Amino acid sequence: MKHLSEEELIEVYYGEGGAPAVAHLAGCLECSAQFAELQRDLEGARMAAVPERGAEYGERVWEALRPRLVPYEKAVGWHRIFGKGWAQWRVAVLTVGCAALVAAAFFGGRMWERHQKVTTTATNADPQAKQRVVLVVLTDHLDRTERLLVALEHADSSDHAENAQMQSEARELLASNRLYRTTATNAGDPALAGALDRLEGVLAEVANDPNLTARDLQRVRDEMNTEGILFEVRVLLARTPDQGSRLKPAKGASI
Amino acid sequence: MQGSDHSVVRAVLAGDKDAYGALVRAHSATVFRAAFRIVGNEADAQEIVQEAFLRGYQRLEGFEQRSSFGTWIYRIAVNCALNRVGKTEIAAEFRHGEESDPEEKTVQVAAKDAGPERVLLSREIKAAQEVAMQRLTPVEKTAFVLRHLEDRSMSEIAVVLGIAPNAAKQAVFRAVQKLRRELAPLRGTA
Repeated sequence: MKHLSEEELIEVYYGEGGAPAVAHLAGCLECSAQFAELQRDLEGARMAAVPERGAEYGERVWEALRPRLVPYEKAVGWHRIFGKGWAQWRVAVLTVGCAALVAAAFFGGRMWERHQKVTTTATNADPQAKQRVVLVVLTDHLDRTERLLVALEHADSSDHAENAQMQSEARELLASNRLYRTTATNAGDPALAGALDRLEGVLAEVANDPNLTARDLQRVRDEMNTEGILFEVRVLLARTPDQGSRLKPAKGASI
Repeated sequence: MQGSDHSVVRAVLAGDKDAYGALVRAHSATVFRAAFRIVGNEADAQEIVQEAFLRGYQRLEGFEQRSSFGTWIYRIAVNCALNRVGKTEIAAEFRHGEESDPEEKTVQVAAKDAGPERVLLSREIKAAQEVAMQRLTPVEKTAFVLRHLEDRSMSEIAVVLGIAPNAAKQAVFRAVQKLRRELAPLRGTA
């Protein structure tokens, strides 16, 4: 037979025991003895009697308390409609206002996101068209570079006017070439980036030499292999716009 | 009573401070009784009554009209008392001694083979009970007082203490067990 635990006995004592526990207690001598002991302990634990408070006690408490109380603001007009006064109504208004603000921010965000998406979609609508634009611009750059290199190959060092024009062209091309080289590097096109890098060296030499002499031109032609670079430029130009994917040549491809 | 309490609360919130006096007069004795049983002395209990009614006044806007003001202020008072007991925790300050002496904080516990002087034994039992009550945690003590002396149900105790009903029940169980453990040495002589 399973006897009642102390917790079950306590529950029975406080009248919260289940019917099975009460029934067991009625028929079990051992549990009855335990229960009697519990009763004795708890009946003794009534502690000191609470001092009696007379009828005037409440009045005394109120007299002591009264000076410490600040009256609530008198409710006026339509505030009475809301029962608990203006403060609670104000809280309700603030809550509704905050909720409206949050909702507005949420829907505003949604609208903005949608608008952004539409714009982005429009921009990205035709990636091939974008690539074609890039290729046309790059082709123009390479055309001008080719012309400069051809001019450099056949330059007459004594013609100062021609040299000055070549330098001016080289400066212009140098700036745009840096931009294309950086873009090609970022786009992961090592062949194009490498060719543009070598081209940049030549352009820098030509653009930055204050007195471009015949010897200087020869040195640039020899040291920087302008003929080879010219070939590279021609190969790059052979990449036609309809072969846009060539902007991303296969790994290890070299020109 | 509940209906009139609610109308008084509305009057107070409308600016009639003196209307609160009616609530204080009606409920201060109940609040005092609960406070005294938890803190165990009259001076502290009186302070708790003042504190509870003051807090009640300050939070009156948060009082929900569907509940009873009596229960609400009782709950505030129990919490004030609980804080007070927690602050002045003197658990285990008493020790067994040659004689029961509140000033020395000693309690004489009868040996089982001592002569059965019932008056003396009764005093010893009381002292042991006091020691046991001091050893309860504030929550255990409050739960026990509310269940055993105030005759509140477990669900009411749970609401007043702001804990789950099962936690309230466990607090009462632990309190009874500790109390009985303290009384165990005296049981053979009773």
